[in-house]
Amino acid sequence: MFAAVNRIAVALVLLNALAAAHDQVPGEPQSEPILLRGGTLYTVANGVQAGTDILFENGRITAIGTDLTAPGNSRVIDVSGQHVYPGLIAANTQLGLIEIGAVRATNDITEVGTFTPEAKAHIAFNPSSLIIPTIRSHGITTVQTVPGGSLVRGQPCIMHLEGWTKEDAAVEYTDGIIMTWPGVRVSTGWWVEMTPEEQRENQVKQRLQLRQLFADARAYHDLRATGATIAIDQRFEAMRQLFLREQPLYVGANDARQIVEAVTFANEYQVDLVIVGGREAHLVVDLLATYKIPVIIGSITATPAHADDPYDTPFVMPQVLHDAGVPFAISKGGYWNVRTLPLQVGHAIAFGLEPAIGLRAVTLSPAEILGIDDRLGSLEVGKEATLFVSDGDIFDHLTRSVTRMWIRGRQVSLDNHQEELYRKYQEKQRQWPMLAPE
Amino acid sequence: MHKRIAHASWLAVLCFGLASVSIATAASTTPPQGIRSKPASLKLFTNARIIVSPEQTIASGQLLIDSGRVVAVGESVSASPGAMRIDLGGKTIAPGLIDPYTEYGLAHVGRLYERRTQRTPKLDGTREGANAWNDAIHAQVEWVDRFRVSRKDAETWYKRGVTTVYSIKHDGIFRGRGFVANLGDALPNDEVVAAHALAGLSFDKGTSQQTYPRSLMGSIALLRQTFYDADWYRAASAAFEANPNQQMPEFNQPIATLGSYSGPFLIEVDDELTLLRAARIAEEFDLDFIYVGSNMEYARLDEIVALDAPIILPLAMPKKPEIASLEDERDVRLADLRHFERAPHNARVLHEAGVTIALTGHGLTKKEDFRKNLRRLIAAGLPEQTALAAVTTVPAELLGVSDHIGTLEPGKMANFAIYSDDLFAAKSDLYSVWIDGDIAHELLSLEAIDWRGDWQLTIDDQSYDLSIKGSRKKLTGTLGRDTTTVKLSNLSGELRHLHFSAPLDSFGTPAIVRVALTSIGNRLIGSADLPLGRVPATATRTGDWEPVADKTEAIVAQPLLSTLTFPNVAFGFETMPEPEDILIRNATIWTSDDDRGVLRNADMLVRDGVIRDIGENLDAPSDVRVIDGTNKHISPGIIDEHSHICISRGVNEGSHSNTAEVRIGDVVNSDDIAMYRALAGGATAAQLLHGSANSVGGQAQVIKFRWGKPPEELKIETAPPTIKFALGENVKQSNWGDNNRIRYPQTRMGVESIMKDGFLAAVEYEAAWDAYDELSRSDQARTVPPRRNLQLDAMLAIRNSEMFIHCHSYHQTEILMLMRLAEEFGFTLQTFTHILEGYKVAPEMAAHGAGGSSFADWWAYKYEVIDAIPHNPCLMHQAGVVTSINSDSQEMIRRLNQEAAKSVMYCGMAEEDALDMVTINPAIQLKIDDLTGSLVPGKDADFVIWNGPPLATYSTVEQTWVDGTNYFSRERDAALRVAVTIEKRALIQKLLGADSTGSAPSHSEQKMEKEWHCDDVQDVWHVRGR
Repeated sequence: MFAAVNRIAVALVLLNALAAAHDQVPGEPQSEPILLRGGTLYTVANGVQAGTDILFENGRITAIGTDLTAPGNSRVIDVSGQHVYPGLIAANTQLGLIEIGAVRATNDITEVGTFTPEAKAHIAFNPSSLIIPTIRSHGITTVQTVPGGSLVRGQPCIMHLEGWTKEDAAVEYTDGIIMTWPGVRVSTGWWVEMTPEEQRENQVKQRLQLRQLFADARAYHDLRATGATIAIDQRFEAMRQLFLREQPLYVGANDARQIVEAVTFANEYQVDLVIVGGREAHLVVDLLATYKIPVIIGSITATPAHADDPYDTPFVMPQVLHDAGVPFAISKGGYWNVRTLPLQVGHAIAFGLEPAIGLRAVTLSPAEILGIDDRLGSLEVGKEATLFVSDGDIFDHLTRSVTRMWIRGRQVSLDNHQEELYRKYQEKQRQWPMLAPE
Repeated sequence: MHKRIAHASWLAVLCFGLASVSIATAASTTPPQGIRSKPASLKLFTNARIIVSPEQTIASGQLLIDSGRVVAVGESVSASPGAMRIDLGGKTIAPGLIDPYTEYGLAHVGRLYERRTQRTPKLDGTREGANAWNDAIHAQVEWVDRFRVSRKDAETWYKRGVTTVYSIKHDGIFRGRGFVANLGDALPNDEVVAAHALAGLSFDKGTSQQTYPRSLMGSIALLRQTFYDADWYRAASAAFEANPNQQMPEFNQPIATLGSYSGPFLIEVDDELTLLRAARIAEEFDLDFIYVGSNMEYARLDEIVALDAPIILPLAMPKKPEIASLEDERDVRLADLRHFERAPHNARVLHEAGVTIALTGHGLTKKEDFRKNLRRLIAAGLPEQTALAAVTTVPAELLGVSDHIGTLEPGKMANFAIYSDDLFAAKSDLYSVWIDGDIAHELLSLEAIDWRGDWQLTIDDQSYDLSIKGSRKKLTGTLGRDTTTVKLSNLSGELRHLHFSAPLDSFGTPAIVRVALTSIGNRLIGSADLPLGRVPATATRTGDWEPVADKTEAIVAQPLLSTLTFPNVAFGFETMPEPEDILIRNATIWTSDDDRGVLRNADMLVRDGVIRDIGENLDAPSDVRVIDGTNKHISPGIIDEHSHICISRGVNEGSHSNTAEVRIGDVVNSDDIAMYRALAGGATAAQLLHGSANSVGGQAQVIKFRWGKPPEELKIETAPPTIKFALGENVKQSNWGDNNRIRYPQTRMGVESIMKDGFLAAVEYEAAWDAYDELSRSDQARTVPPRRNLQLDAMLAIRNSEMFIHCHSYHQTEILMLMRLAEEFGFTLQTFTHILEGYKVAPEMAAHGAGGSSFADWWAYKYEVIDAIPHNPCLMHQAGVVTSINSDSQEMIRRLNQEAAKSVMYCGMAEEDALDMVTINPAIQLKIDDLTGSLVPGKDADFVIWNGPPLATYSTVEQTWVDGTNYFSRERDAALRVAVTIEKRALIQKLLGADSTGSAPSHSEQKMEKEWHCDDVQDVWHVRGR
């Protein structure tokens, strides 16, 4: 019945034997060079390189090539037959801000108000979340965590999924501003409380409010730029990074009409735009390509936005964007379910996406969009040694099994709460013949 | 239909002969105040075009009425010289129209129940008198008791030419009895035509603030239980009367009233599927239903025609889809466009199919749309005679008053209206409405001249073109010459006199002219006042007035562009696919059968919807289509143990802790696009489950995805009944907020108690029936019988292993609790669904014999799933539990193969075992494994053709077959995408010019459903401030 080997369990045993066992205890900073020998390297930047070595020291990749010479004190690990990937980057998550959906005490996602750009995700990010290790074991090393809310929500952070503290885990404390574009769709379903007129009125109100907020923020920024001494408004202060074009404005927009409005708006206010969600981005690819607006696709395994849409509309979205030359990343919003990110890519590949493009969409592309591609997103000399080894294709759930992972050269435990429970209750089943009532 | 209204024999009491008329009218009980008014009642209308009935029109004739009745009608009738003669000069007399579905005379009643401000649920009814337990039941109400004559209220109808209405308050489920009344100004006593007319029903609890029912299936359960109660009450009362020496049954006025009512019910339904749902109740209780329909009946015509029941159709047409704006158009579904185009054709389609139809103005927001829409129905091909019958004779018959109204045959009530032209002509003006032989409402004097049209006006020696338009009451006009036109001011035409003023500057005279004209013969003569003095003016008619053509009517008259598909939404079938005899050659066949396993290079023969043979190199019969399966994989159709797609109006009754009486089978929605998408993901069957808002939910329904078939044909007939139970946070309302702290139970302890109480009650119920059944027939007649209780029927069926539980469950404690409870009552718990801690008690489950249906990897969404692990299926499977993976979502049902594959990834389950978790194992859990779930000869040909191994991430579905019938293929899907786009564009072009006066719900508004979730507890009857 269980002919197939429990690969993760075996991997854990191996790990325990080879390296210092540290059950979800953060690994120590890299103290010796590590050479992974003979793996298939998915470099992203330079294609797939079979039978290639990769060397990293002090948390950085120092060499990639065949038959590399390991420095004297190196730990050499034979990974031949295995796949080496840069750590997957999960954009647009709420990981670390929430632990249990229905338990309000564990929820730090949304601040009060419709204009809360001062709310910084990193402040609340919980590096001890039980969920984090369950995400990591799927090859995901790095996440962008975003606040929730209804209009201007706050500041995302970018975190590694490893660290004693959030300061230890941080990649970027603040990463622009995230907002949700006002709704445009009028729902006529019988269950909808508001009439179409009320909905429209509400939407217009939100749009006007948004313009006012940006006008005020811009005015504040302009005055600050003159060097004048004025009272500090934390909210407007937070918005300055947009006008300085240091960081992008992430706009949650799924409907094509929202996307068009957001592009117009960003152009008007001269801010750098990233579309998040993009469920109908396929309808406005020309606009997105023209203005080079990146899209973080919210989910591949989504249902189509409209009843008349083809059933595979979300599945083929990445290919449509790719064909049109729109930069994009693939994400899976949420928290515990962020671990289905590889499946999201796999599903798109099943519906025709080129595998290399799929891999890029969860590595280098999000790194570029989030502005961390100088450190992350590919296996290149000089970049962080944030990478992992898998027994098989990371996007094929029948073959993949993450066996080792390093974040900044620190070896990461692949164990988690769920694996512990699995072991515990395997033990119960072993004992059952003794426990069972007659 | 005649038979159906035969019950109304009480009408004979009202049906007096003419000889007794004067006595009858004199017999008013109301004392006169002041001088009595006694106008002569003998009137002769001459020179009239008389529509006597839908079958008979007299081109030029006479109508004699007396004492409120038609005495004679014909080309020439003999009348006493003393009769008052009214020369109609060619005008038309038509029977007064009858609206069979109104709330006339009840406006003052208002809401039956005030809106509550408390947020806590109202579990109990408002007890006053010996009324029903549920506030939506007021079958005892006689609405005639509340009838007030209201001229203002009546205006809505009489301006449409309606003289008589059926009225009942549109509030509640058992609404009581309506009445038929004329729209005159006299006392209610005089206006009532039938005091105790049809009893009314609906599914909508209306203003009742009680939580139950909060779903359509709850309403249906309430209807069903109440009809059983009425039967029981009759028997119980008779038995008690025969033998008072026993406990006295309760007194219950509404149930008693219902038990003694034998007439047809008028039942309002929202769409064609709900009409069919109502029909199932009529059939179950052998009742006659008259439906107030929706104009969506065309979409399930065959099933509706088969009911052989009359339908009252609203003249209200659907709201126009928002196609004017390119942006809003995105939200318009093909189904909205199709329905907007086809709704005006519904009456014709039903008529042509032999359905008896009446029409109602119910739902119209503008008075004038009544006749406008009638004309549109005629433009759509409804014969005028049928249209007339639908507003006269048919409603008269349905309401049991055809002896009195509906035609102008001698002896009938003199209810009629006088029109300038034919009843249905667009230009026809309504002059007056006559009720009971008297002029009740005069809208225009018969004497008044219709000034509208073109005239040649001469002022002094100057000639002008005078054009008069508008309505009779509000004229507009212009004065012109050559290319110059000016508007008339102060234009009015009273009786014989027309006057207006106009600036003449544009015609070279710097002045305002005032004109007054009088009609003499065919000419108008009078004078015009200019600065220099008064000059003669004359006018002669040069052209008749024609109303502005109704563009929408012209659009309605065009041939239909939309296709009618099954279901009638995008991706429906124009013609339903048939089972095919096929041989699949040389494929890899994943049989989900222990003995066969995975067969490579194998063939599968399908005939008559059934798998005939599987093996290598099968002989190909000459009459089968061969499908090359090279490089293809075949798996059984995927089966979902836990789904909430294809459900109309509410997934949770959820108001009470035990709602075992409600049935998802009552509300299956065959039109849900989620079914098509599930097929595209290889799913062929699912159990549609009640939600998890209460401890004992409702009965489930197992269906196959026979996309296009009506709800009843989706059901797997032989699947044994199943029911949803639930445990934990949802049923104890942990996450429902502070307003929900009063319903028992609020702890896991109470969950056990309430379930146990239900089973104890069932055991007692069985004993009571057994004792009753053992009595002799004569003793039974003297013994109050047990009351049939649909909730206890279900609980008892569970106890007796005739109905099987699928229980929403998470924690190990509650899982053990329910197994032990089942053991105590002697049955086996069939399947724990969700069961995310099943792994903690998997050996115990195996020992009990319970199955487990898990999510693949869900957790952390609520506290009780903090210990959920993705290895759960493996551990349950390993312990010998029949394990499946379910979706509980319209998203995941499209890729359950991937969800199953996660057990290969997380804990190394063999691929074949993992596939079994979405094929044969759920079939076993649903007890349909004798039919489907694996590919073996003799089973239904429910299978999927994949382009790779079924569990592989990169495999996709190419075709999905149910019962040997191809319900999905990528080729057909690709063609339909194109067809959908083309049809939408064509319909938009056609419909852009139509007006937007529709007031009935659009297809989307009526038929789109929420994406139902387990814990969705919306009260479907209380939205938008209800």
